[in-house]
Amino acid sequence: MTDVKIELRGVHKSFGVNARRVPVLEGVDFHADEGEFVSVIGPSGSGKTTLLNTIAGLEQPGAGSVELDGVLVTQRLGLVAYMQQKDLLMPWRTVLDNAILGLEVQGVPRREARARALDLVDTFGLRGFEKEYPNTLSGGMRQRAAFLRTVLVGRDVLLLDEPFGALDALTRAQMQEWLMELWGSLGKTIVLVTHDVDEALLLSDRVYLLTSRPGRVKMVIDVELPRPRHHDMSTHEAFLTIKAHMVAALREESLLAGEEPWR
Amino acid sequence: MTAGNGRPGHIGEAERPALLGALRGLLAPCLLGWVIAAASIAGLVGLWELVVRANDIPHWKLPAPSGVGEELWESKGLLLRHTWVTLKEVLVGFAIALASGTLLAALISQWRTLERVIYPGVIASQTIPIIVIAPLLLIWVGYGIQHKVIVVALISFFPIVVNTVDGLRSTDPDMINLLRTLGAKRWQVFAKAQAPAAMPFLFSGIKIGVTVSVIGAVIGEWVGSSEGLGYLAIRSQSQFLTERVYAASVLLCLMGILLFLIVGVLERLMLPWYHDQRRRRVLD
Repeated sequence: MTDVKIELRGVHKSFGVNARRVPVLEGVDFHADEGEFVSVIGPSGSGKTTLLNTIAGLEQPGAGSVELDGVLVTQRLGLVAYMQQKDLLMPWRTVLDNAILGLEVQGVPRREARARALDLVDTFGLRGFEKEYPNTLSGGMRQRAAFLRTVLVGRDVLLLDEPFGALDALTRAQMQEWLMELWGSLGKTIVLVTHDVDEALLLSDRVYLLTSRPGRVKMVIDVELPRPRHHDMSTHEAFLTIKAHMVAALREESLLAGEEPWR
Repeated sequence: MTAGNGRPGHIGEAERPALLGALRGLLAPCLLGWVIAAASIAGLVGLWELVVRANDIPHWKLPAPSGVGEELWESKGLLLRHTWVTLKEVLVGFAIALASGTLLAALISQWRTLERVIYPGVIASQTIPIIVIAPLLLIWVGYGIQHKVIVVALISFFPIVVNTVDGLRSTDPDMINLLRTLGAKRWQVFAKAQAPAAMPFLFSGIKIGVTVSVIGAVIGEWVGSSEGLGYLAIRSQSQFLTERVYAASVLLCLMGILLFLIVGVLERLMLPWYHDQRRRRVLD
């Protein structure tokens, strides 16, 4: 029996927009077990990012509870590692010094923090770029540098908000394979937010599909594809069956929200 | 930031030599720019000389550049002594403005209430003409260097505060959230995100501040002083030593330019990432 790492019960969240309350999340139940890879997918505006912000502690739920390791925690900042949509590399820090930001905040001496980061530059494909400023890096490398910063924080849980959204298709495919390997070797719990059905299915043990605003869990899909997985799997019958199922559900939601139909 | 994301793999190892080449290509026109600037100044000075000589303009009305040059050389001891006095006023006054300005900007950026209390005063200090305040200051602090230093500090304080406050506010809120999720305390958010993000703004403020400092020193000296280039200029003017007035002006001008250039060099040394980024934008 594995331990439950993250547990959300009936999470509600709304934001005030021009003196009006706009509900964003409406009673979301969610959990991720230790070492599990869980994805959250939904049409834009379904509150995916708000969900991650809530787990990370940047937002507090209006109603409902968030538990980490089976304990109700309200001050969650600093307890989980969170990689936001933008890479947020500091232009005034070198790649290496960006990577150690979390360790610095924790009070680890710079010298030691840099040594720890240097041990990982190969794994993150950043060898030879440690002393460069972020603006000299390609999109994929920037993303990996942000990943390194996130992993170095040393938390059991990684929250990833559309980490590959800004990358071209080829780089994205490479990064997905790389992430799968990384996850296999690190043994961390990962929660990934994405709007890419293939990405969610390829990477995850379980996928939460959210409705359009306000976000509710419309569907939970256990992805029972064998591991290790590869991109060729996206043409397998089992994969295509689940995908068709999910795309139909997403299309329904997009149409309800009056958006472009899901491809 | 997102520019790099938009073009993945655009700048990699392979393109670095090409980049260096392009840099060289950029430096050449830069040198050309200096040559053009020097030539145009030389042309203007030459024209001035010509006009004065051709029209036999009396030297106390408009001295020729050669006359000003002669004065610079012949009175170099006197001029240097007064230059040193003015430079001292500028440097001390500016240092005070820099220290108090950045401190105040930091406080304003952290506490909104403080902003509402202090900012109007800061703006008022700038809208009341310094030429009105300077004689009053003379009454309060007397005739010494303190008076000039305060005028300098008052005049250069404003651009530093305003620019630094803007800089501290320009920090990407997501960057601040990132630090919060890393468990950073408020002072860590300030030290690791807001302060570095504000540095280019601070330097802009310093560049403006340091140049107006020289003006501040001259105003201070006019209102009440017995030494300094501003004092020398106004005294020489009443004695119809027009060459000396011009010589003092040239030195004041050089002082301003020199201080500006020094700040520029310091900025390049202290914010290499910022110039790197700007250069790249030019190259793109």
